[in-house]
Amino acid sequence: MLKVRKRIFFTVLIFGILFVSGCVEQKQLEKLALVTAAGYDLEKKNVIRGTVVVHQFDPMAQNITRMISTTANTSKGLRQGQNLKSNQKLVTGQMRCVIYSKELAKKGVIQLVDALNRDSTVGNMVYLTVADGSAKEIMDVDNTNTKISLGTYIYNLIKQNVESEQILSPTLQEFNHNYYDIGRDPVLPVLKVQNQDVIIKALALFKDDRYVAELGAKQHFYLKILSDRYKAGTHELGFKRSDFEKIRMKKGEHSIRDVYNKLFIDIDNINSHAKLKMIDKKTLKFMVEVKLDSRLLESTEPLDFSNPSSVKFIEKKLNLAMEKDIKGLLKYFQKLGVDPVGIGNEYKAHLRGKNLSKKEWRELYKRASFEVHVKNRIVKTGVID
Amino acid sequence: MKVNLHPRTGLLFNAYLLMFFIHKVQTGVGIVGLPRIVYLDSKHDAWISVFLAGVITGIVIWAMFIMLKQYDSADLYGIQVDMFGKWLGNLLNIIYMVYLSACFFAIFMNYIEIVQVWIFPNLPTWQLSLVLIALSVYAVQGGVRVVVGLAFLAVLGTLWLAAVLIVPMKYADSTHLFPILNVDIKHLIKGMYGSSLSMMGFELLMFFYPFIKDKKNTLLYAQIGNLYTTILFSIVTLVSIMFFAEDSLARTIWPVLSMFKIVRLPNLERFEFIAVSFWMLIIVPNMSAYLWAASKGFSRVINLKQKHGIWFIGILGWALAFFVHTRSQMNAVTDYVAKMGFVLAFCYPVMLSALVFMKKRFMRRKADNAQGS
Repeated sequence: MLKVRKRIFFTVLIFGILFVSGCVEQKQLEKLALVTAAGYDLEKKNVIRGTVVVHQFDPMAQNITRMISTTANTSKGLRQGQNLKSNQKLVTGQMRCVIYSKELAKKGVIQLVDALNRDSTVGNMVYLTVADGSAKEIMDVDNTNTKISLGTYIYNLIKQNVESEQILSPTLQEFNHNYYDIGRDPVLPVLKVQNQDVIIKALALFKDDRYVAELGAKQHFYLKILSDRYKAGTHELGFKRSDFEKIRMKKGEHSIRDVYNKLFIDIDNINSHAKLKMIDKKTLKFMVEVKLDSRLLESTEPLDFSNPSSVKFIEKKLNLAMEKDIKGLLKYFQKLGVDPVGIGNEYKAHLRGKNLSKKEWRELYKRASFEVHVKNRIVKTGVID
Repeated sequence: MKVNLHPRTGLLFNAYLLMFFIHKVQTGVGIVGLPRIVYLDSKHDAWISVFLAGVITGIVIWAMFIMLKQYDSADLYGIQVDMFGKWLGNLLNIIYMVYLSACFFAIFMNYIEIVQVWIFPNLPTWQLSLVLIALSVYAVQGGVRVVVGLAFLAVLGTLWLAAVLIVPMKYADSTHLFPILNVDIKHLIKGMYGSSLSMMGFELLMFFYPFIKDKKNTLLYAQIGNLYTTILFSIVTLVSIMFFAEDSLARTIWPVLSMFKIVRLPNLERFEFIAVSFWMLIIVPNMSAYLWAASKGFSRVINLKQKHGIWFIGILGWALAFFVHTRSQMNAVTDYVAKMGFVLAFCYPVMLSALVFMKKRFMRRKADNAQGS
């Protein structure tokens, strides 16, 4: 008897639990508007303009994406305003990228990034970007013919380039990591509208959360090498033609190419290993050691690759050119006072019994000097010699 | 009250299950926030603090075993009465019962807070607490074997979560770890103190001891469980230090869940939802273990039935949940439990075991003398 009562009791209890669990807020896909991209502009002092591109699931509608733009003081204030303009509830779980206008980025973006961090519905793999002009301009791009939402387009644009090792990954996680690290600064891609298309124009160097300068594609290759975590992608180097006279193929009809008056060599970096070491703590001397295994993709001159000594010769030339470029890049960073490579982290790793503040590091950074060693190894030269 | 407890053979469980049980009761909600709490004190050497705290836990477990070995088959409730007499002993017993119930309360409240922050912001506390308490009451009704078995299953079910840590390792920056041992001893010890909340749970050994079948193996298996916990916690802390930037680890309330945010599966964008849901599997055995130990006090100390104790604590915990609303209140509760735990799980058992050991030796010598003369 008691057993039966017990059983009934627990059955009721479990059913109760089942029904109670249905009480949380429901989210039906048809009633939601998924924000795929969000952009922020500085409208005037204290006021930001927020623009979102939303993806809607409406079987009746032709256009599945919509742009909503409002102004407010904070990003969550913007969300309220945007909701007033939307027939469906805006949710940020599918947000793929966030765009800050350059003007805003120059003043600092951490207050907006902080709002993203605080929000548990926003993933950590959201891409952060900087707009060359205003963010609204980018979100305004008419992409009816691409048939995909702008957020997804920008996401694919960046993802494709990150995966093919062209740019550094600009996720929220990496921005946070580099921003909150004392000896490191974040880097984000700069987007631009060109012929009704969104393109990656350059890379933005940040000092803390403030945009400082842009870095072109060429230097970007070196930054990627120095960041160590990835392969560095393809790179093009120019040399004086006369330097290579020695190993040029002289025989044959096909040896005359006069389109360029310089020699260009393209290498594809298969493997790179960069080591940053502090040699002297007092004088702040750092040594950068880069080892590269690369494929030769293209050479504008018919060079003689069959001879091992000429490959050595090219390697040596590449080493010298790269050493110069890397040194120049490090000097450039130093002049700007930005540290995207993480030299401060290396310094801090050797600092015993003291705490380093960001300000102290900026002061010390000015005095740092660098020694660069590059070791190239051309492992393949393609299907022809 | 009888000092020794002799349960039926049908109620006993094998000592090897302690391996899983000790690990499970240690790994609860504490681990989710552990890296940050320790980091606040011992900075980038937090993982050393965690490891040392684990070593100390091992020593405390050893001390407990020494104490328990002096008796035939006693639990802490019996030992305290034997040592301090009926009144003082039972007072201490009631303190322990309050502490165990408070742990029970803190575990599910912390978990509910995580669910509310991460998945359902609008979920009322009482609904989820009802579900969790009902589950653990149901488990404890089944007796000690169900409680231990649940812990065993939960360990098997959540073992894979540790493997997920490989993903954040890709974003790790090893320079954060250097220079090793940069903080002074004081901060290192503070960090160890900070990790005591997460290490807690092993004190339940003192309550489950009479139910172990092969008691001579207790120490070995309990230590294996604790070793696994220590290694796991140290690795989690190590990965967190490398994964997060210095200041952001200090700001992230649940670093382990934030690390899970990075995991992205092709058709599952947000892995942390799975992780938070799976955490319930980690929580429920913990809750039921504490609930069992606390309610056991009802039959041991106050001459009531354990069954009534289960319901009493369950309903009381559910009712108390209505009084906690904000994060700061929750923090205060957790801190209070952590402080109690530090005294009642770490310090006091060592003292007690020293006392028990001395008393038993004294008695033996007296007995020897009596025989000799």
